[in-house]
Amino acid sequence: MLAYGGGDAGAFETLYGRHRGRLFRFILRAVKDRGVAEELFQEAWVRVIESRSRYAPKARFSTWLYTIAHNLLVDHWRKKGLSLVSLDGEDAASESANPARQAEGREALARLLHALEALPAAQREAFLLHEEGGLSVAEIAAVTGAGEEAAKSRLRYAMAKLKAAVDDN
Amino acid sequence: MTDDGDISRRYRELAREEPPRHLDDAIRAAARRAVGTRPAPLVVPTGRQRWYFPLAAAAVIVLAVAVTLHVEREQPGEEIASAPPAPAASPPLEPRAEAQAQKPQSAPQPERRRKTESAESRELRDAAPPAELQKAPEPVPTLPPAPPPVGTQDAISSAQQLAKVEGAPPPVAGAAARPAPAPKASAQLRRFDEGARSAPSLSASALQSPEQWLQGLADLRKQGRHDEADRSLAEFRKRYPGYRIPEAMLEKVEKR
Repeated sequence: MLAYGGGDAGAFETLYGRHRGRLFRFILRAVKDRGVAEELFQEAWVRVIESRSRYAPKARFSTWLYTIAHNLLVDHWRKKGLSLVSLDGEDAASESANPARQAEGREALARLLHALEALPAAQREAFLLHEEGGLSVAEIAAVTGAGEEAAKSRLRYAMAKLKAAVDDN
Repeated sequence: MTDDGDISRRYRELAREEPPRHLDDAIRAAARRAVGTRPAPLVVPTGRQRWYFPLAAAAVIVLAVAVTLHVEREQPGEEIASAPPAPAASPPLEPRAEAQAQKPQSAPQPERRRKTESAESRELRDAAPPAELQKAPEPVPTLPPAPPPVGTQDAISSAQQLAKVEGAPPPVAGAAARPAPAPKASAQLRRFDEGARSAPSLSASALQSPEQWLQGLADLRKQGRHDEADRSLAEFRKRYPGYRIPEAMLEKVEKR
């Protein structure tokens, strides 16, 4: 990113090729809408481009990149009247979307996917940041602005629900 | 029982969605554009504006050079054009007639030219009044009293005199008054100036009749001023190439 900030367009190609798929899936599975995902994905990279001269390597690039994506998701949820961080615990939505009940008779992957979609947003985001972004608990905490304990808890809850969904047959 | 690693493995088996190609192209193009963009200058020259400063500078330079050349070329021409034709030497009233004849032609000359007349041309014109023509400005002591010479002369007046001597029809006043072409007039003026400065006696001789001229020549010989006499004789023969000097006079004027 520093090289790109210095004017090396080829450095951006490298960064983009390395992160494009993972970031896109992270956003897509967070919003569950391809159109919105494409829009947010593009906006995330536009912010990267615009911030090239202000970028300071305080953490891994992926941490910075997923922080941008997280902020975009927060804005997106706010516009829709939803809150990303308030869905930490079990709620009605997650109860009604019990992956075990909805995914009966389907393949394990299908159940996993449904379980992922049924996760509370914060847990899903923690899981996706861990799986797609390759971020550690501390990095997830940094990206989401939550404490490390909260991030750890979200990730643990997400994992538990997905396991339950996969094992539910 | 499934562990965390198994969940991760299964998750990766899910469909690997990718961003669409057009989105990739748009983002990459935006990144390239951003890097290629230079910081904006304080004054952004766009379109025609980028040519304003160089074009204005070039125009000023060309104009300055053109004006300079024009002024340099114009000045001598204006002097010549504004210099009035020199009045004839004799008879004394002729210059006035010529001056009067010149008036209608010189009147329409632009005011600008009159203003740019040189001091020299003004002197020439000032010499025209008949009151000044009556007296010789620089009397030549060695010559006999000559008909009133004028301070200036030119080829036209000489031609008039020559024509009178040889019986040829004199030049028409209008033709004499007609301004000569600039190069000729310039040459005449120069020739006159040189002659007036270097040999006033010769110029005065040229205004006399051939007999008077020869008599003056003879006087010069008598006084031993042979150099002047030689020059005057050469001038005489140039003026009157067909004039046959009587034998008696020839002995007096020729170099011994």
